[in-house]
Amino acid sequence: MLERLGRQFGYDERSAALLVFPVFAVLMVVAVYPIVYSFYTSLFDIVLTRPWRRPFVGFGNYARIFADPQFWTAVQRTTVYTVVTVSITTVMALFVALLLNEAFPGRRLLSALILLPWATPSIVNGLMWKWIYDPGYGLLNGILVQLGWIEKYIVWLGDPDKTLFMIANAAIWKQMPLAAILLLVSMKSISNDLYRAATVDGANVFQRFLHVTLPALKPGLMLVLVYETMISIRHFDLFLIMTQGGPGDASYTLSWQIYVETFRNLKFGIGAALSYVLALATFILSYLFIRGFGSKA
Amino acid sequence: MSLSDPRSVSRRTVLKAAAATAAITVAAEHRSAWAQAPTINFTSWSAAVDQVKSHVSAFEKATNLKVNYENFPWAQYRTSVVTRLVGNAPMDVLWVSDAWLPEFAEAGWLATIDDVPELVKYNADAAPFCTQSMLYKGKQYGLAYYGDHMSFVYNTEILAKAGITTPPTTWAEVVEQSLKIKQTGVVEYPMLMALAIDTWLIEFMSAMVFSHGGRFVDAAGSAIMAETGKGVVEAANWIREAIHTHKIVAPGAVETSEITALRALGSGQHAFCIVPTYRLRALNDPSQATAAGKLRPTLMPKGPNATASATCGWIRFYGMTPGAKANATRRANAVKFMEFFGGKDTGGNYTLQKLLLTDVGLPFCTTPLSNDPEVKAFWTRWAGGGDVIAQQAATAVKKDVIAPWFGEWNETANAAWQSIFLNRATPQAAAASMAQKWKELRGS
Repeated sequence: MLERLGRQFGYDERSAALLVFPVFAVLMVVAVYPIVYSFYTSLFDIVLTRPWRRPFVGFGNYARIFADPQFWTAVQRTTVYTVVTVSITTVMALFVALLLNEAFPGRRLLSALILLPWATPSIVNGLMWKWIYDPGYGLLNGILVQLGWIEKYIVWLGDPDKTLFMIANAAIWKQMPLAAILLLVSMKSISNDLYRAATVDGANVFQRFLHVTLPALKPGLMLVLVYETMISIRHFDLFLIMTQGGPGDASYTLSWQIYVETFRNLKFGIGAALSYVLALATFILSYLFIRGFGSKA
Repeated sequence: MSLSDPRSVSRRTVLKAAAATAAITVAAEHRSAWAQAPTINFTSWSAAVDQVKSHVSAFEKATNLKVNYENFPWAQYRTSVVTRLVGNAPMDVLWVSDAWLPEFAEAGWLATIDDVPELVKYNADAAPFCTQSMLYKGKQYGLAYYGDHMSFVYNTEILAKAGITTPPTTWAEVVEQSLKIKQTGVVEYPMLMALAIDTWLIEFMSAMVFSHGGRFVDAAGSAIMAETGKGVVEAANWIREAIHTHKIVAPGAVETSEITALRALGSGQHAFCIVPTYRLRALNDPSQATAAGKLRPTLMPKGPNATASATCGWIRFYGMTPGAKANATRRANAVKFMEFFGGKDTGGNYTLQKLLLTDVGLPFCTTPLSNDPEVKAFWTRWAGGGDVIAQQAATAVKKDVIAPWFGEWNETANAAWQSIFLNRATPQAAAASMAQKWKELRGS
């Protein structure tokens, strides 16, 4: 067989294959194998604290997940969080990109400053917002009281009705700059001729935005939506630092459930199955965005 | 095969090199394993690291044995240790929480020490509560690292300002005194509670339940937590009313962790709090707390059905792995280590236990040390005397929810507690969900 392959492929092809092989092997070991193995794991009822048993349950873990009310609570929380985070991030990023696309003194400095939150490590971001929201000494309460907008300090993260939105705010603060830069890059590629032609046709600034900028931004918007959805739906660090899934189960999202089942309850089978469900949901959403925007773009 | 084909030569060379590398690696591993043979692998969480390190040095000097000391943060410790145990990583001695004992013992990760006379002899000097906490199904699994309990602490200055001369003895008096303090305008929320989802929440709640004369489960291990009059509902209801009716506990308590509560208590902003006793040292240290010298322990207030001022106690201990026990040399070394750390050192003294108390504030399980003049001086300096602490320690009860499924049950319990504190569920309904989970896990 090797001889046949040797005859079929020349020296160049074989050399190329040899050079590509290490990368291929590394990818197989660090990416493909874990993905396949975690699916295999999801078919077993593996609980680390019961090492003597490892029953094969087939898709039993998946059935248990879908029958668990806690899972549906997590789906609901994840959906709310993702919709809020992605929509606000995208809209704000669009406005910031439009602003940075205009020529004005200090634009470069502003561009650099706007990127700062994105460069802040996630852990620092979580801790910083936790302090800002603190019901006893938080900056947010301090400012609101000084402005006279509230009389008493408010509980932000400890209020189940506000928690998800407060975490989403911290996420938006960090994620928006990158989205803005991505949209700005798309904007820069729009030909000025299109704007000039629209102006000649009598289009005002809003009409130019609606009929020139927005259609031309579709590839950029698709990229932002796919990226932000993938990030938000799997968000974990802020939940770990700020609320630990609480208060009660107010911030109990899918990624938090995966963490609890895998690393606290040490149920690796269920944890792997949940991870696959989340990965599948991410894949479907990304596909829908690409279908919706991609072909037209 | 000819020398004119450079690729063939190179392939052979590569194969030879790979074989040589593999041989060297295998030899090096054997050598390394041989070199590690007399080493004791000790794993702990990241606490009292300086004191442990200094004692490790003393142990190495006294025994000529080497110690490989590793520590992990408390929050990740259980997961780290379990994965290492499952993966058969080299471990001889490790710190274990009493909460994990059933789980670890059932999994076969801890060895019994009933047949190790060098260690069991220290039971004679240990507080019965500590020894009891290291037993599972009648077998002993370790030697104490430290034993502690939840203390009720009050701020003498705030009470004096409000004209209160004696600290409360019942939970009803806590409400009464708190309202008086609130009315005088000294502080807005006199009672401080750390009710965030935190590893300490179950200890706080157990202290509340036990001080109400209650239990979570009966002697047979069946859940009684949802039954009215058994303590859980009453304790939860007290907290709910303290937040929402009397407003003596801040509504932000659901996001207050134990460490945040300590800072707030140390800053002198609250009159009452439940804290682990070992925190008294830091709380009364002027370099760490502005309220230092004013924070004193008193007996846990009693609920209407309680006959004693009970509290929640816990211990952490040195456990030996079955792998270490199965090998004669490793067993002998591990036993020496456990004795040196959890018993007496080679000089015949409880050196580490005393050091952990005086340096870090960790109370010990070793009763003879209580009469040590330095220990007495310590309690006088940091807690205004050791009598209350000794009295409270005598009424400490270990968490009765400790079971192989404790961790998973606690996840449900944490959310249920918070739903009560947030007034989103009645104590009865939340306790029923805890009881249901207990029943489900117990039956699985």
